[in-house]
Amino acid sequence: MLLTARRQFYRLRSRLQGNSVAPPLLQCWQRSALHRRNCWRQLEFLVVDTETSALNVSEGELLSIGWVVIAAGSVRLGSTRHILLKPRRSVGSSAAIHQLRDCELSAGISVESMMPELLQAAEGRVLAFHHAPMDLAFLNSISQRLYRAPLLLPWVDTLQLEKQSLERRQLPIGANALRLGSCRSRYNLPVYPAHNALMDALATAELLLAQLSHRGEDQRLGDLL
Amino acid sequence: MKAESFPSAALSPELQAIRDFLAECMPFEQLADGELDRIAGAMEIDYFRRGHVFTSHEDPGGLRILRSGAAELRAEDGRLVDRFGETISFNLMGLSQEQPGIRATLIEDSLIYRLPEPAYQQLRLQHRDFDRFFHSQRNRRVRRAARRETNPSEMMKQLRDLMSTQLLWVEPGVSIQQTAQKMTERRVSSAMIMDHGPEQGGRLLGIVTDRDIRSRAMATGIDAQAGIDNIMTKDPVTIDAEETLFDATLFMTQRGFHHIPVKDKDTIVGMITSSDLMLARRDDPVYLVQHISRQQSVEGLRKIIGLLPDLLVQWVNAGIRASQVAHLLTAISDAVTVKLITLAEQELGPPPRPYCWLGFGSQGRDEQLLGGDQDNALLIADGLEPAEAVWFEKLAHRVCDGLNACGYVYCPGGVMATTDEWRQPLSGWCNTVDRWTRSPTADAVMRVSIFFDLRAIHGDASLCRQLQQHMLKRTGGNTIFLAALAENVLDSPPPLGIFRRFVVEHNGEHADELNLKKRAVIPIVDIVRIHALAHGITEVNTLRRLHALVRQKALTIGDSRNLEDALRVIQQTRVEGQVRQLMNGEKPGNYLNPDHLPKLVKKQLRDAFGVVVDAQQAVKLSYRPGM
Repeated sequence: MLLTARRQFYRLRSRLQGNSVAPPLLQCWQRSALHRRNCWRQLEFLVVDTETSALNVSEGELLSIGWVVIAAGSVRLGSTRHILLKPRRSVGSSAAIHQLRDCELSAGISVESMMPELLQAAEGRVLAFHHAPMDLAFLNSISQRLYRAPLLLPWVDTLQLEKQSLERRQLPIGANALRLGSCRSRYNLPVYPAHNALMDALATAELLLAQLSHRGEDQRLGDLL
Repeated sequence: MKAESFPSAALSPELQAIRDFLAECMPFEQLADGELDRIAGAMEIDYFRRGHVFTSHEDPGGLRILRSGAAELRAEDGRLVDRFGETISFNLMGLSQEQPGIRATLIEDSLIYRLPEPAYQQLRLQHRDFDRFFHSQRNRRVRRAARRETNPSEMMKQLRDLMSTQLLWVEPGVSIQQTAQKMTERRVSSAMIMDHGPEQGGRLLGIVTDRDIRSRAMATGIDAQAGIDNIMTKDPVTIDAEETLFDATLFMTQRGFHHIPVKDKDTIVGMITSSDLMLARRDDPVYLVQHISRQQSVEGLRKIIGLLPDLLVQWVNAGIRASQVAHLLTAISDAVTVKLITLAEQELGPPPRPYCWLGFGSQGRDEQLLGGDQDNALLIADGLEPAEAVWFEKLAHRVCDGLNACGYVYCPGGVMATTDEWRQPLSGWCNTVDRWTRSPTADAVMRVSIFFDLRAIHGDASLCRQLQQHMLKRTGGNTIFLAALAENVLDSPPPLGIFRRFVVEHNGEHADELNLKKRAVIPIVDIVRIHALAHGITEVNTLRRLHALVRQKALTIGDSRNLEDALRVIQQTRVEGQVRQLMNGEKPGNYLNPDHLPKLVKKQLRDAFGVVVDAQQAVKLSYRPGM
């Protein structure tokens, strides 16, 4: 399968370059066998959301990350983690969006300390994001820098799942139709005040449960990737 | 996949929205912030679609709180127990202990917070208020559910809810006399002999009862200063708090015990006596009436009357017929009235003059159902002094207010002892009756039809008999009066449409519904009353009036039976309608929708209405010849 093949590629390439993929990521790969035929209630998900100082990975950096575990079809409120990251540059005017100010972030930790924790939490789990490309761009770039390979972990995207289901029902997709709050309202999920990475991760996790419940019990990992 | 368990951390500070929500949910709002965070950390969030069913036998347990969506609880036979939405919680395991087979169905897509069973139980142990909330909530639900149970389940009540928890215990060295003194002070019939108090985990060594003091101490002449342990029953049998009224009753009758200490795990928590068991059988009408007479306040009476809806459902489901149900309900309202009168007399002092409290209408006729108003009057012996009148006015107010508080609402037409018109000496009443019968205006006829169904509820019944004799003397041969009464009978529009649709009310909230009381019961009562008055019959109960009319050959057996059957069918339909309304959580009333009646019942009702129309025609011929 594609993910395995790409992991193999990075393993070989880095070995040829004389330094292998770094242990935290390698270990995570080794412990994350993929079960494409498993139904969704048998899977565990690590639902992740990040806050960044800019939309583009070349211009911004990661400011905070939050995650929560779904296991046996339930969100575990005791499994949540919220990490503030110490930015290398001032967050400047982006503070208006994510409400994270320089003074708060200076108490944060480095990405080097955060990543092993994230990888450990991701072991054996499927990552989930709302609009994955954005979060993954930042995480992959960090992973590439620290471990010499992108994350290459299985992931699902609640935004894509929603787009599929709207398209399947041939519903028009309006300008804001795929925002997290709009998606949630279609499933009778409560309105949450934005905006921190953990609250959004939790909101995404509930959306994922709702989407999977509506798709049916027989949804397998292979149907979601 | 990972199989690790999830050691729950406290809720992250970032999840303020969760915290805010829980703080809105009873009884979580009682918990301190730190405690709330710890509990929230143990929670799981589930999402299920509309139609998902939680059944108790495959439930992992835990307390579920609806975060969004709505759910309903249904008993095993499918009847609705409760329906609720956001912020409401339920514990299926606990509910199913009281109501096996209960299930929860989502009626909307729902997001549910679940506190796993161990954490939930731990929380209940640690917080008494929290525990009490769920205990009482469960009781409320079970009570509602019990309404829907076909068989009375009072016998399945747990001893925990019946036992006395005011325990008297003494140490073994305490003298017989001291123990007896303590028992007298505390007004209990038994004492437990323990090495320490139950709170300190004391061990139960023995038990002493009134009878032991009589037979083992007084009768044997043992020194009253001897230790109580000399006469105690050693190592008495105990019973578990989880056991039921049924178990305890069986146990007592089989073993001949009257007192059994109650244990919860290894701690003594109470004492159950044979009289506790007797009082607990509140669904038994005899005990209920006894229970009423023991009350010392309006509030106590009100609580008992509050049980009537549930009891009505049980009685009707157990097959008690409508006329018997009416008899029970009348006996209960009589008991409440008498109790209110005696309570008032205790406060006001003895009555200055003999009097009789009169009940009218359905109470007078012994035909009461639920939701009726009060119709009453005071009949006072002649020679009333103005100063004495105040006493009776006060009495009337106390009793009528009390009845109103108990749910027998004030009479909208003012037929109550609180009005001067309905609170008179015998001679005054006789004058009133003379006036009514001499010039029977429409208003007078209306009053007569209420007043002539009178019964002595409390006090000097001979006053009531004198008044009734006077009434019957005035009405017996009074053709003008009887003709006016007959017109009133024919005035109440016959429930026609018999062969097509029922006549239904065309206005207000009961459009398309049929008022069985007004359209069917009252016409029969009116018909039978006019016959009774014409023939000097003293009975007021409609069925007994019919029987008396047959004995006096005023009605044929056939006509009498027809009316009797018609009344039974209508009353039965009415009672069953009230039971249905109660089970749907509605107020019991007299309206019912003919469309909701089974075919057979409709046919029976149609036949019954036919009988009423025929009987009305007969009244017209008998009392209004030539009109």
